[in-house]
Amino acid sequence: MAGVSVTFTVNGREVTATVDPRTLLVHFLREHLKLTGTHIGCDTSQCGACTVHLDGRPAKSCALLAVQLEGAEVTTIEGVAGPDGMHPMQAAFKEHHGLQCGFCTPGMVMMGIDIANRHEAPDEATIRRELEGNLCRCTGYHNIVASIAAGASSMRG
Amino acid sequence: MYVGQAIRRREDERFLRGRGRFVEDITLDQPIAHAAFVRSPHAHAAVTHVDTAQAAAMPGVLAVLTGADWTAAGHGEAEGVWPVKDMSGADSRTAYRPLICVDGVVRCVGEIVAMVVAEDRHQALDAAEAIEVAYEEKPANTITAGALDPDIPLVHPAFGTNEVMVTEHGLKEETEAALANAHHVTEVVVPTNRVTAASMEPRAYLGHYDRVNDRYTVWTTNQAPHIVRRYFTKSLHIPEHKLRVIAPDVGGGFGMKLYHYPEEGLVLWGAIVCDRPVRWVGTRSECLLGDTHARDHHTVGRMGFDENGKILGVKFETLAAFGAYESQWQASITNAYHFTMLSLAYDIPAIHTQVRAVYTNATPVDAYRGAGRPEAVYQVERMIENGAQEMGIDPLELRARNLIPPEKFPYQTALGITYDSGDPPVLMGKIKALADYDALRAEQARLRAEGQWMGIGISAFFDMAGAGPVKMMNDLGAKVGCYDVASVRVHPDGRITVFAGSHSHGQGHETTWSQIAADRLGCDIDHIDLVEGDTDRVPMGIGTWGSRSLSTAGMAVYTAADRVVAKAKRMAAHMMECAPEDLDLADGEFTVKGTDRKLSFAAVANASYHSGDRPSDLEIGLEETSFFDPADCTYPSAIHLCVVLVDPETCAVTLRNYWAVDDVGTVINPMVLHGQVHGGLVQGIGQALMEECAYDAESGQYLSGTFMDYAIPHAEDVPSFGLDAHFTRALGNPLGAKGAGESGTIGAPACICNGVIDALWHLGVRQITQPMTPKKIWRAIEDAKRTQH
Ligand code: FES
Ligand code: FES
Repeated sequence: MAGVSVTFTVNGREVTATVDPRTLLVHFLREHLKLTGTHIGCDTSQCGACTVHLDGRPAKSCALLAVQLEGAEVTTIEGVAGPDGMHPMQAAFKEHHGLQCGFCTPGMVMMGIDIANRHEAPDEATIRRELEGNLCRCTGYHNIVASIAAGASSMRG
Repeated sequence: MYVGQAIRRREDERFLRGRGRFVEDITLDQPIAHAAFVRSPHAHAAVTHVDTAQAAAMPGVLAVLTGADWTAAGHGEAEGVWPVKDMSGADSRTAYRPLICVDGVVRCVGEIVAMVVAEDRHQALDAAEAIEVAYEEKPANTITAGALDPDIPLVHPAFGTNEVMVTEHGLKEETEAALANAHHVTEVVVPTNRVTAASMEPRAYLGHYDRVNDRYTVWTTNQAPHIVRRYFTKSLHIPEHKLRVIAPDVGGGFGMKLYHYPEEGLVLWGAIVCDRPVRWVGTRSECLLGDTHARDHHTVGRMGFDENGKILGVKFETLAAFGAYESQWQASITNAYHFTMLSLAYDIPAIHTQVRAVYTNATPVDAYRGAGRPEAVYQVERMIENGAQEMGIDPLELRARNLIPPEKFPYQTALGITYDSGDPPVLMGKIKALADYDALRAEQARLRAEGQWMGIGISAFFDMAGAGPVKMMNDLGAKVGCYDVASVRVHPDGRITVFAGSHSHGQGHETTWSQIAADRLGCDIDHIDLVEGDTDRVPMGIGTWGSRSLSTAGMAVYTAADRVVAKAKRMAAHMMECAPEDLDLADGEFTVKGTDRKLSFAAVANASYHSGDRPSDLEIGLEETSFFDPADCTYPSAIHLCVVLVDPETCAVTLRNYWAVDDVGTVINPMVLHGQVHGGLVQGIGQALMEECAYDAESGQYLSGTFMDYAIPHAEDVPSFGLDAHFTRALGNPLGAKGAGESGTIGAPACICNGVIDALWHLGVRQITQPMTPKKIWRAIEDAKRTQH
């Protein structure tokens, strides 16, 4: 393997690494940085369990190579809570029972934050439509939708 | 009191912060090697040659192993935990799912032929691709209907038939007579589509062998870790005390993660051979192909009614797919959970059912959320719906006339099962009000006049949840005792660890078991921690499946906690110089009744471990274990009602409303209960409208290998739900609780299909197979037009 060097920011910390060029971002996060909150649920970019923020927008880390990220800023689920507790979106998921097994949850929270960033007060139809890239097999979505609506409202303060 | 409160979940924060610990997340101090598998691309073939030489020489490769190596090592197969028995009582034609192909024949796509273990994932995959396997294709059959016809290829020619077994239950002559004398008979052919659980976390296993201490460890995505040890006694011949099974956080199971999958045995084998920990994490394609599939019944049913729509008798003939092999719990469906529940919520005097189980060249079928009951409800409810429509009786009214009245409880069905408690007419009244049924019928008529197709679907049923008791489940075929276990350990500082034999993979036991324990122990819920999923820490367990954990493990927590309290009271009474009966325990303090004399629970706990001043016959320590064998199963019931709109242009179905009224007995945590119902409903909706494990009929190729081809519902495909409840106490456990995990998947498919048929009845449509895709609906309408002209 001819390694390629790449430098980018993850959760506010600069990371430089030499990686096998075929390394996916999701594997890099999980295996090199031990940030195992980002999950892999499919092979075809359908499930959204791997969703992170890339330069402030949601991105599926299973569909990116680590070497593509030179200079980029990545935030994972481990990077969203503040020093004094969970992010309002995380708190809303707990309050509204928006998770069961917790496997889709990091991706749902990352997507929820992005929905809240882009919509003033997202209604049910908007949230459901915006979740087209995220699958959950446990919750039936009912409480995820409620969590994102509540999280968006508390993010506005 | 914590029980009954919507306590927010204590497990949530670690998942929300990305700190869950799933099998794929486990790290060890030794580097972990990776396994990759070579799988059969054919539905049925002889394996004539396997060439591993090139792969073995590739970089990073630690071992390449085949069925010949497996046989040479003397390894075996995993036995059924719930094996089939046919009517004669004899063992049937059993062929257990092999871990790796050992007899030179592959019988379904995906069967494992070879394994590579390598330093990293890419090296393992590259080497697996370099293995050359020569196959000689044989004719295959993946279709359940007709699997017993002449000329259909045999999956196991040695048996001379594709039939695994035959069972019959119920009242044969009475049913024939009822049908012969009926005023009206409805007949339907109702195949139940083959689906799969598709938990979001793929299956994954990590095997480790400690040669020095001769100890094995498996980290597994499994719902019943103690049962995993039992499988390994037969597959790798490892004694149970030598094997530690850890099921850490598991990302959904739904029954599908109960079994001893080939990869689970093979990674531990690889670890032994390579003297290195070995992990495999399934890709989604491997999982959609290799996870057990579910349902796949082909049923012909006849139901007879009197002139008022009262059901007189029902007869079923079912072919139940097994797939290519028998999976370990398969007969829990055919021999226990399907036939027993065919009376649903109705008072039906005569029922007879015959099930013939069949082999096909497809992935093995096993239990998935509902296991036999979704099939039963679909089979019965489709007949009730068509019967009502044919007789011109309002479908809800016809059902109401047939519901089991409250005064008939405990109610013994024509199949011999006794529902301990319930009140279906109350559920019916509630759902009628919740949905404003009469207004919906008026709306339907108005829309129909405008050319819009709106349908109302209904289903009403009982579930048999909470397996055991041990004896009853043994009698239904279980080879594992269906009890469960909990230990309550009070530490010297008064804080508590509960160990339970159940396994939470989304159900929220860290919250609900703690609610039960805190109430019994009179303590703060935050003084309790729960341990599950580790056979070295938890004494024993039968695991979480079949909506059983609350009424078995949960009751073991309840019982063990009560024993702790009884013992602590004796110590406290000694310390306070009173009688144990004079003491109350609440808010972490013992109080002498009618006085203000108090002693903290923590002081008693400390004395229990460290004080020599104690009753002479009271043993040191404060820890109790309960092996809880329930007095009965639990029989939750529910009625579902939905509104569907079928687009006359595109034939697409919009599920506009969905209501469910459940009777699950005493509720521990209504928030968790509702979550369980929501999740089950959406899986049931998927079965009705979208999901299918499809095979190409000609080649036997599997067509549903990605989430592009296997459609699980997205948020936009489903509505929010309207739930209500009515509670009758279960009689078989001290809390009066009933199982609640499966109601959604059990009732939804039938409810939605009835809704679509109701929407299209006026066009002449009588039946559409699931999943009810726009294409099938369009075809059904076209066919109906043709037959009417
Ligand atoms: S892992 Fe499924 S979308 Fe990325
Ligand atoms: S909570 Fe289990 S997949 Fe969403």
